[in-house]
Amino acid sequence: MFLTRSEYDRGVNTFSPEGRLFQVEYAMEAIKLGSTTVGITTPYGTVLAVEKRVPSPLIESSSIEKIMEIDAHIGCAMSGLTADARTMVEHARVTSQMHNFTYDEKIGVESCTQAVCDLALRFGESVEDDDALMSRPFGVALLIAGIDEKGPQLYHADPSGTFTRYDAKAIGSGSDAAQQSLQDSFHKQMSLIEAHTLALKVLKQVMEEKVDENNVQLAQVTPEKGFTILGEDELKRVIEGLAA
Amino acid sequence: MNQLHSFQAVPSTRNAFDAYSTLPEPPRPQSTHAPRAHTQQPIVTGTSVLGIKYEGGVMLAADNLASYGSLARFKDIQRLHPLGDNTCLAVAGDMSDFQYMTKLLDATLRADRSVSLTDTHPPFSPQNIYTYLSNLYYARRSKVNPLWNAILVGGWDKEKKESFLAYVDLLGTTYSAPTLATGIGAHIAQPLLREAYEAKAGVDGKGPLLTGQEAEELLDTCMKVLFYRDARSLNKYQIATISNDGVKISDSKSSETEWGFAEGLRGYGPQTQ
Amino acid sequence: MALFAPPPMYADPTMAADKQHAFNPYSENGGSILAIAGADFTVIAGDTRQSEGYSIQTRYARKVWQLTDRCVIATNGFAADGNNFVKRIKQRLEWYEHAHQKQMSIKAIARLTQTMLYGNRFFPYFAYVILGGIDEDGTGAVYSFDPIGSYEREACRAAGAAQSLIQPFLDNQIYFRNQTPAPGAEPFVPGRLPLSTVLGLVIDSFTSATEREIAVGDGLELYVVMKKGRTTDDLVGSDNLIKNMQVQELGALGEGGSERTFLVSLPLKRD
Repeated sequence: MFLTRSEYDRGVNTFSPEGRLFQVEYAMEAIKLGSTTVGITTPYGTVLAVEKRVPSPLIESSSIEKIMEIDAHIGCAMSGLTADARTMVEHARVTSQMHNFTYDEKIGVESCTQAVCDLALRFGESVEDDDALMSRPFGVALLIAGIDEKGPQLYHADPSGTFTRYDAKAIGSGSDAAQQSLQDSFHKQMSLIEAHTLALKVLKQVMEEKVDENNVQLAQVTPEKGFTILGEDELKRVIEGLAA
Repeated sequence: MNQLHSFQAVPSTRNAFDAYSTLPEPPRPQSTHAPRAHTQQPIVTGTSVLGIKYEGGVMLAADNLASYGSLARFKDIQRLHPLGDNTCLAVAGDMSDFQYMTKLLDATLRADRSVSLTDTHPPFSPQNIYTYLSNLYYARRSKVNPLWNAILVGGWDKEKKESFLAYVDLLGTTYSAPTLATGIGAHIAQPLLREAYEAKAGVDGKGPLLTGQEAEELLDTCMKVLFYRDARSLNKYQIATISNDGVKISDSKSSETEWGFAEGLRGYGPQTQ
Repeated sequence: MALFAPPPMYADPTMAADKQHAFNPYSENGGSILAIAGADFTVIAGDTRQSEGYSIQTRYARKVWQLTDRCVIATNGFAADGNNFVKRIKQRLEWYEHAHQKQMSIKAIARLTQTMLYGNRFFPYFAYVILGGIDEDGTGAVYSFDPIGSYEREACRAAGAAQSLIQPFLDNQIYFRNQTPAPGAEPFVPGRLPLSTVLGLVIDSFTSATEREIAVGDGLELYVVMKKGRTTDDLVGSDNLIKNMQVQELGALGEGGSERTFLVSLPLKRD
């Protein structure tokens, strides 16, 4: 009846003798099942790109939402159990608004990411007067992109509550190949257009379907316009550029 | 604004029955369903206390009376309370709140002392105790349930090798000065204390301080004047001396008083016209 | 429903008598504070007398406190509330520094001050607060607050016992009210006076207030926050020093090398 690891993956907060938390590791596995998501930082802004899997032609592709706004200057893209991300984004939004209300300034991108990660660890049995929100770890990873006084930034937040800053990062099912090709092509002085193209090029490599405006989504955070999701026309233009 | 002075005199807005503020009991609401009230006024009270910095430390003075309204109810109450080796309190106002507060502080100091047997850390400095008291009194006033006292904290800081003298009251008001007096003493004794202090130290306080003997004589004078003028005082008082050698609290003593002149005052002796 | 409301409390004589004896958790401790912004500096000042009624409690109690390298706070009103408010603000500044790895800007401290004051809307801190310092563009900034958190940024503000004496003088000298530029002269712009002029105005404000307001006197503490890189000759140059005036530079609190804060102390009359 017991498979390997069996006794130690029951309680979400029980360490195995090797010092591992299996439920957290399984949550990381859930992300590897998710659609590929890419983020790239440039001196002119940060770009996010996601693959939208549209398994049936009867699906309205615009209803698949994998890039969300957190604040005017911060956005995020997700991979994994996207329903869980709603809780995290909601928390990030409230934290950002509270910061703006209390201090009359935009929240820092790192501070916002930290707030999300604080939430990510609040699973398991609740202690008195500290109510855990979830009975299990989140099954989703986020790429959080934003701009503050330190310039454009990109953070990766995972279910273990760890966050890391990246110049470019890929997560999800195609992340291994995608990360390798980001490493090969990324350079520090990229323009936004180059970043758009690189992001879609990387997605194209790992996607089964042909890239079109319905199965990918592109967003960016720029100093001028803050967080924006690229419209259909802009997206088409980038895709056309890819073929050439 | 003047509740500080009500240690001596219960508020004057009383009815004709208690025109001379002899009763400390609060007026009770007619209704028996009224919620349990927090402290609205002190009951058994001590009058003003004094403090002064001198060349080797600090001296505090307080008389031995605890009044019940105008009744001189308890005439052998010590209102000087040593805390640890280098700190002493002089407390005016409600005596039950005084006892509660000292019980609390004594427990804190005792706990600290037992910890210090297994751990090495410096004992509480006068500043530590003062900050604790300030926070306690401000927290209680903020609950609108004050501890009804005005306190002088006198001490010798062994680390800094300097004296410490500061005030805290039922509102959480805090301040420090080289001479201090609470209540009616702030009006009657403080001017005498400042005058004598500044005569030697100068207005900038940079000159020499009073000697121990000069300071004690000054406090004796002030306690005598207060006994003459403060109807809620007693000619039996103690002086605490806090120096590098520790806290020394004197036996109770009295001032020599002269009442002969009073015979000539209209309203004091038998009327002649 | 109001038709059937019970008669007000004051209609019942026993309750009215009760009210008389209720503990009053507030006091008023006199003194005055003042701040004036310049183009690249701000001056924040307060006297050091603390009083209650006609009694001077102490001749030296601080009302002005350095918060960050570019912000100074002054409080006036009920001293216990003022001191405890400053304590809470400092605690929040430290938390903020830990959470966000930077010192709070004066604009952020101003908004935080509002949220903290308004948070006590129904048991207010009886404290009039003035913030002074250098904003994110390097310009002198003054923010003033009422006890429940209404605030605005201004070129200058006086508060406390001598507000009614000092503010009209400042309106005239800083905002140029009731003054007309000479024909052909430049129009007046508030917040552009040189430091030496502002120092003179502040010191004169307090010496005058000391003459006419019993709650003001004993000593003056005056903080000067200067923009990064600005000359300090007009403050520390010895020919600008008034008799008995002491100037001391306060060290940087954060990662240094930016704004500089000086504390100027001088005596006021003690009578």
